[in-house]
Amino acid sequence: MIWVTVAMLMALLALSIPIAAALAALGLSLDYLYSWMPLRLALGEMSWGVSTDFILFAIPLFVLLGELLLRSGIAERMYAAMSQWLSWLPGGLMHSNIGTCTLFAAVSGSSVATAATIGTVAVGEIDRHGYNERLFLGTIAAGGTLGILIPPSIVMIVYGALTETSIPQLYLAGIIPGLVLAALFMVTVIVACMARPAWGGDKIAVSWGERWRTLPDLVPPLLIFTVVIGSIYTGLATPTESAALGVLMAMALAAWKRRLSWSMLRESCEGTMRTTGMIMLILIAATFLSFAVTSVGIGNQVTELITESGLTPIQTMWMIVALYLVLGMFMESLSMMIATVPIITPVVINMGYDPVWFGVLMMLLLETALVTPPVGLNLFIVQGVRPRGQIRDVMIGSLPFVVTLLAMIVLLMLVPDLALWLPRIAG
Amino acid sequence: MDRILDLAHRLARYGAWAGGALVILAAFVIGLDIVVRKLFVLAFGGAAELSGYVLAISSSWALALALLDRAHIRIDSLYVHLPVRACAALDVLGLMVMLGFAALLTWHGWNVFHQSFNLGSRAVTAIATPLAYPQFLWLVGLAYFALVTLLLLLRACHALVTGDIATVQRIAGSRTGQQDLEEELESLRRRAEPAEDRP
Repeated sequence: MIWVTVAMLMALLALSIPIAAALAALGLSLDYLYSWMPLRLALGEMSWGVSTDFILFAIPLFVLLGELLLRSGIAERMYAAMSQWLSWLPGGLMHSNIGTCTLFAAVSGSSVATAATIGTVAVGEIDRHGYNERLFLGTIAAGGTLGILIPPSIVMIVYGALTETSIPQLYLAGIIPGLVLAALFMVTVIVACMARPAWGGDKIAVSWGERWRTLPDLVPPLLIFTVVIGSIYTGLATPTESAALGVLMAMALAAWKRRLSWSMLRESCEGTMRTTGMIMLILIAATFLSFAVTSVGIGNQVTELITESGLTPIQTMWMIVALYLVLGMFMESLSMMIATVPIITPVVINMGYDPVWFGVLMMLLLETALVTPPVGLNLFIVQGVRPRGQIRDVMIGSLPFVVTLLAMIVLLMLVPDLALWLPRIAG
Repeated sequence: MDRILDLAHRLARYGAWAGGALVILAAFVIGLDIVVRKLFVLAFGGAAELSGYVLAISSSWALALALLDRAHIRIDSLYVHLPVRACAALDVLGLMVMLGFAALLTWHGWNVFHQSFNLGSRAVTAIATPLAYPQFLWLVGLAYFALVTLLLLLRACHALVTGDIATVQRIAGSRTGQQDLEEELESLRRRAEPAEDRP
């Protein structure tokens, strides 16, 4: 039954059937083939239930928040300020790329939006300062992935909703690994530029006067981060409510920058709803599939299979990590998570792992998936913001950071407290 | 046929605007709810429930737009290596499976609405919303999605049979990363322009 299911899923996806329809078709097939009562009768109530889940209302809110920020010109100013503060390091502006991505990640819930925004602002600087183009592009693709690890994070919300894990806990757990990973990315750049000084480009003129003058440009993103994350931990708001506060804040900032207009709002709404419709349809299908998988007993079979294999939990975990790394080369990250998490997470929890820790590990695996060829959304995004050149450059430039991501995954496996310490002392 | 699809596209876009407006409105209501709760220690409540309906209604209205803009994600690892004719056949197959899912959702959505309507079901909350109202609006979105999928499938089938592969690609083809980007870039460029003349 497991193998039939896996084969069907692979076939449906290889045929390039839209993910939502593929998951639904798989769920229905399981229903017809293996279930003794028609599970599809529950489809209506289930769809209504998923569609009205208040937790998931955070999805359109965060997408909208991102759209508003993108359209209000806040990112360009952040980048200019960051370059004043970070470009003295070996590797110059490459550190500003990572720094701005980190800060943008703290207001945006999406890796793609982070890479696209920072990429657009940054690519013009490559020729101007004679950087190694590939490495420079790699910092944007990799830095952008921080979007889903550092809270707020749309993907964490979806993970939390699918596995019934606390979203505030997940957010807290993502902060330290996010900062450590950003630091490791910077170390990677420093090491590369120490080995090959020519890669680092020429020095950028900075002055303390300029530094202090640009500092206020870092305030808007920090303000939104404080409102969104602060309101959760002071007990003022739930994660969804905090997203609503973030949207109101972003609208106020856009109005203050005089960028708020009807056409800007209309574009934001259109973009937001398109993404939301796409995600919600996948979620409805995935919920039905996960119901079918549990009802016909595949979940138990997977658990049995793993128990009988005689692997220790830690060995199993390495297997799971390896599986995701391979899958991640070929699948888009969000759909990869939605398709697999309902089956894998119960097994993982059964083995005694903390779902919050696994959530953070999952984010790291998805980040890796975003920058591993041939299918890596962030690679495509960065390639897209370049005026010329081949995608190969972006892929090669991202490789050092894939190694860094793998190191971070190993680090999190060995030191679970990187993720779990903050939620523990806070809660 | 193409004119009907254009009309459907425009209607879907209006639906998305309305959905987006509802989301913004819900954000304001939630903000108000928090303020009232904090300042007056008053449970005004209901914001969460209403936002749930907003999510259901706005996302169901957006389904058709996502389809017409080819935003429903497909895995194209294999697809991009196939000859264009095979791709076009897969595009049509994808639409068929999508139609099956859309029709099924609409049918079961109808059952949900029909039952609430007949029984006069109300939400078990302070507002006691008659569920048939939000469910009706949700059902409209689902039905529109199924209808648009059907239209698109008919058009794509016609194009496939007459050998008009370019049209199949245009209305139902998988978006490669490249295409996405060009649009993203275009909109970023448009946004960046007013920034140029800033001091």
